[in-house]
Amino acid sequence: MSVLKWWSGLLVAFLLLALLRVFLPLPFANEIMIFSVYAIGCNFLLGRVGFISFGQPAYLAVGAYGTAFYLFYFGTNPYIGILIGIISGFVVSLAVGPLFVRLRSDYFALVNLALAVIIFFLMQKVLAGITHGDDGLWFLTRMDSTPVLDLTQPDQFFIFAFLIAFAVWAFYKYIDDSIYGACCLGTKINEDKLKFLGYNTYNIRLLAFVIANTTTALAGSMYAIYLGFVSPEITSPARVADPIVVTILGGVGTLYGPIVGAIAYTGMKDLLSQVFGNWELIVGFLLVFIMLAGEKGIWGTLAPVLERTFTRLTAPRSAPAPRTEPGVKGT
Amino acid sequence: MKSDDILTVAGLNVSYGESKVLFNINLNASSGQIVACVGRNGAGKTTLLKTIMGFLKPTAGTVTSNGTSLIGRAAYVVAAMGVKYIPQDKKVFSDLTVRENLELGSYATRDYDWDKVTTYFPKLKQLMDRKAGYLSGGERQMLMIGRAILGNPKLLLVDEPTEGLAPSIVAQLKDVFRELSSKSTLVIVEQNLPLVCAIADKVYALNEGHVMAELADREQIKPETCEQYL
Amino acid sequence: MIDAHLLVSGIIFGLSMGSIYFLTAIGLSLCFGLMRVISLDQLLYYAIGAYITYSISAAIGNLWLGILCGVVVGGLAGFAVERLVFLRIYEKDITFSMITSFGILIGGVGVIKFIWGLVPRPVPVPIETQLNVLGTDVPVYRLIVILIALLVYAGIWLFLNRTIIGKAIRAGTEDVENVEGLGINVYRLFTITFIIAGALSALAGGLNSPLIMVDPQMGLEVLAFTFMVVIIGGLGSIKGTFISALLVGQVVSLGSLIYAPLAQMAPFAIMLLILLIKPTGLYGSQLLKR
Repeated sequence: MSVLKWWSGLLVAFLLLALLRVFLPLPFANEIMIFSVYAIGCNFLLGRVGFISFGQPAYLAVGAYGTAFYLFYFGTNPYIGILIGIISGFVVSLAVGPLFVRLRSDYFALVNLALAVIIFFLMQKVLAGITHGDDGLWFLTRMDSTPVLDLTQPDQFFIFAFLIAFAVWAFYKYIDDSIYGACCLGTKINEDKLKFLGYNTYNIRLLAFVIANTTTALAGSMYAIYLGFVSPEITSPARVADPIVVTILGGVGTLYGPIVGAIAYTGMKDLLSQVFGNWELIVGFLLVFIMLAGEKGIWGTLAPVLERTFTRLTAPRSAPAPRTEPGVKGT
Repeated sequence: MKSDDILTVAGLNVSYGESKVLFNINLNASSGQIVACVGRNGAGKTTLLKTIMGFLKPTAGTVTSNGTSLIGRAAYVVAAMGVKYIPQDKKVFSDLTVRENLELGSYATRDYDWDKVTTYFPKLKQLMDRKAGYLSGGERQMLMIGRAILGNPKLLLVDEPTEGLAPSIVAQLKDVFRELSSKSTLVIVEQNLPLVCAIADKVYALNEGHVMAELADREQIKPETCEQYL
Repeated sequence: MIDAHLLVSGIIFGLSMGSIYFLTAIGLSLCFGLMRVISLDQLLYYAIGAYITYSISAAIGNLWLGILCGVVVGGLAGFAVERLVFLRIYEKDITFSMITSFGILIGGVGVIKFIWGLVPRPVPVPIETQLNVLGTDVPVYRLIVILIALLVYAGIWLFLNRTIIGKAIRAGTEDVENVEGLGINVYRLFTITFIIAGALSALAGGLNSPLIMVDPQMGLEVLAFTFMVVIIGGLGSIKGTFISALLVGQVVSLGSLIYAPLAQMAPFAIMLLILLIKPTGLYGSQLLKR
């Protein structure tokens, strides 16, 4: 596979995203960017390792609060804030990971949910002296304007978020194509066989867990910078749905699923809450429908169609490589 | 295909996902016969029994009993038609007592005549209130068989019944199988060749999902002839 | 030290809270044990039970009749969801049922918002009387809640150990395939279990409705606690669920006497600790691994 071909899919996707910016209002576009970074961790865990986490908001909050603490109490540079957010996400997931990845997938989901609740109470009540409880931390005006990309400006923040999202995608695509990505998929499909091959599945899972949740923390700190404020609401049990719905909506285990899911979800949430004021109804049953209809999601359904059209346009060509079916369950 | 055949398997193909396990299996058993399937581990013997029972769906082929197709029916329907499966590893319900294990067999078949069970296995009488999880391997196998013969099944599918059992119990089971064959047809998956040769009317040798040989003649069924397929 | 009056009322409060957790968790535990599905939608029946109780008791002024109607509706809702959705996903992986039932939960919250609106609703307590226990006045209603939970526990125990359907469910918890192989229609067992689970979750919602405000998100709010109870007890074990529900109730209630902010978090810390020592929970057996 040539380098150009490797990049082409990503470039096209992000070119389209950049185009989207022209048509969509800025807050909406920003939200999509952050959301897609948020969901890719969840998507990776579910699609590649077979672990679903009901506690992604926990890691989102860790990143957001890491950034917020720095910007509220210590410094003023948002870039360093983001760095702190990533580091705190890395530290937390490395701390809880060794315990969590030992568990079965069902326990894993619920333990993560518990972590989200713990962090919620921690931020709302126990550490109220530092976090200001439900009032949250406001630091929008404390942030410095940075010279090249001024993160305090929403339009420049978009460019930043866009670049971050692109980098994250390139990273995940790289992982997907590497031996390590194959190992992850192996732990999902048949853990025992991988063990017989001499791989340590525990380490594979732990690494995946840390990577995914550090990404989630990155999304959290992007949120913090973008909103200029963080409150415990970010990890409340009611928000648990977000990353899962985005992941399933987009298509589990597909590379572009999180972007498509983020666009669809943010759009739906915006439109539906304007029209109905009741987006749960639609989102919930859509989730059930997608699962029953073959769990492929929007991108999972679209991708083969696009691929076929594409190969027909550029025919004659060698047959497309066999694809791994995306999905919650291993084959 | 004769309709008085208790079991006829024709052209059966079974796969787990992408990997094919059984290829074009043909097998039949007529009334009162003991049919044995021998073969190495992984030859597809258990898969064959599970497919007959309805736990697995074949990709092609037919399974009929007295002219009625068993394919596409849920396992509990097949069981209600008089086909019983005795799984390997002696999977009794270990949290339930022996009595409760038998009660479940009775509940499914509306046959509460436990005397036939205790005639075959008098030992179970004293163990009625013991949890099945505390039984020895031989006692478990007795319970498994006892549970399955309630309702007088016409066909018993027995998976590795003597694996890991003491020779004295194997000898007892041998007699039980002989007696059972007067009322039911038995399909036994077994690696114990002396036992197979002592009781089987017909032997199918399976290897890697194919039927390698069918020995329908009592004269042919000797350990020496069977050994080459193991 | 802690005042004795506070201690007694704290224990009673904890027991009643534990009773509610037990009732919501038992359905989950049963469904996991037999069908190997994680049925997050139990929390929806909990909310439905509470809302039906609210509507009926507001209309005719009798809470108990309201709870009864709630239980019936909860059971029916469970039946409908089992037939429409779960029947199609029993064969699938466990994460599959978790996500799908989560969708049902969210969608159901939407339905509740659609019917009853967003505003939290109060349900009046039917019995205002206080009873003197060891020199402390405790609300009789909370004692009734505890009593009902005990009765349910006894009832479930009798059902599982004395009826043939119950025995089949216990056997199915060990190995569903073998139960089916005996000729028992396991899908009927699944439906029965699901109806029982839905009805008990609705009972929890109905009983809890006078103690809290009834609002659409109430299911999501107890979701974490319910799961914690199930995990500490061990998925699939009724006894474990009962003990861990009482434990969690006491930890939350007595913990708040010592240091309020920590009380809500303490059970989660206990859960993490237990999972660290025994990854299958207190009574979850290794057999259930699959």
